Amino acid sequence: MAENIESNPFVDVSVFLFFEDISDKQGVEGFTNYMVGQAESLAKSVPEEEYETWDDFAKAVASGESVFSSFESIEQISKYGFVTNICPFSKAIREYIKRIGNFNPVHVEATDHYNHTIQPSAAHSACMMHQTYRKEVAKRIKIDGKPLQYAQIGAKAYTGEIALPPESWKKVLLEKAGISETQGFMEMRENSCLYLLYVEERSSR
Amino acid sequence: MMDIAIYSLVDDMVSKAGTEGVVEYWLRVGESYAERMGKEAYVGWPAFNVAMKEGRTSLTVEGEVNVLTDLAIIDKDGDVIGYVYALKTCPMAPTMRRYISRIGPIPDSDTDVADSYNNRIRDSAVSNYCITHQRFREIAANNVTVAKQALECLQLANKGMTGDVKMVPENLARINVDERHIKSILRSASCVFAIIVKGKSAGEEVVD
Repeated sequence: MAENIESNPFVDVSVFLFFEDISDKQGVEGFTNYMVGQAESLAKSVPEEEYETWDDFAKAVASGESVFSSFESIEQISKYGFVTNICPFSKAIREYIKRIGNFNPVHVEATDHYNHTIQPSAAHSACMMHQTYRKEVAKRIKIDGKPLQYAQIGAKAYTGEIALPPESWKKVLLEKAGISETQGFMEMRENSCLYLLYVEERSSR
Repeated sequence: MMDIAIYSLVDDMVSKAGTEGVVEYWLRVGESYAERMGKEAYVGWPAFNVAMKEGRTSLTVEGEVNVLTDLAIIDKDGDVIGYVYALKTCPMAPTMRRYISRIGPIPDSDTDVADSYNNRIRDSAVSNYCITHQRFREIAANNVTVAKQALECLQLANKGMTGDVKMVPENLARINVDERHIKSILRSASCVFAIIVKGKSAGEEVVD
């Protein structure tokens, strides 16, 4: 696993403030667009990866060797179900609260905007960046020649609130992950994020 | 992960708002960050310097500083009007190292934004983040008083990741400190600044 270099919280907090300043000038839509846009750009900058088998990929992700786990510690809980124990933004969020105080309400407004216009999966504004990054990075990873697919199931905010997809999606996603709803809730008690990583099975002709 | 976003965000913003637009955003971020830290008051320079050493002031949230008490700045009457401080590690250094190791080379937009600031505002940025960081210190210093006197921060010098150094000669002249002395401090620091009583200088005149 690569050397773990800790960021300086001074920088983390200023990035949150940068987004708040964007929202002052361009509204919540501008905030959301920039957050999503920069995550896409960031993901496009990371090196591409190829794995021969699903197990090779899962092993690389869990050991932190894949670009998918560059910024977070990931655990595999079923063949296609994965969890992130500690949200990689939690330190930045804690430092913001410690240094400045309550989060600017624009973060909740931007999260709602994302949940209504893009997909209902964000528990905090940082989730917009994180989930977009994961979605775009997945496109850069191939397993047995097929692109990796990513779908968010649950995300927990620092307030304890959990963002979950609509019932109809949730059922499909949990089924694909091979876990029950109860198991899913148990995982969300211990972890900050639950998601699905998979490749489309080859269709038999 | 939040910090890593800076480079892709700046890259994106340069394409939409231009380098000048990004400079303006960074300046406002520095201002709002400092303003939201609140006000501080110290009874005298020894109390302020102890707080700086122990990292209790808004001016030290960025990291540990060396308090150079041997570099007391005195005015024409022989009164101490301030001190020189050296930030040991640039707050952006870990992010740069992480970006290079996980993503790749730092995007050109970093230098483009710094150049825009250097050419139009003040030649003191070695990376785009210096813009917000230096502004933060200037505004944060305005929120601090020592012996009921308002303070100001003077950026003196800083050193980039590749070793390039920026000096601010007009500020060095104002506190009457030699450039060579500051260069020697930069051997073990990334950023050097002075905190002085607002409007004062080491020379004869009081600066407006």
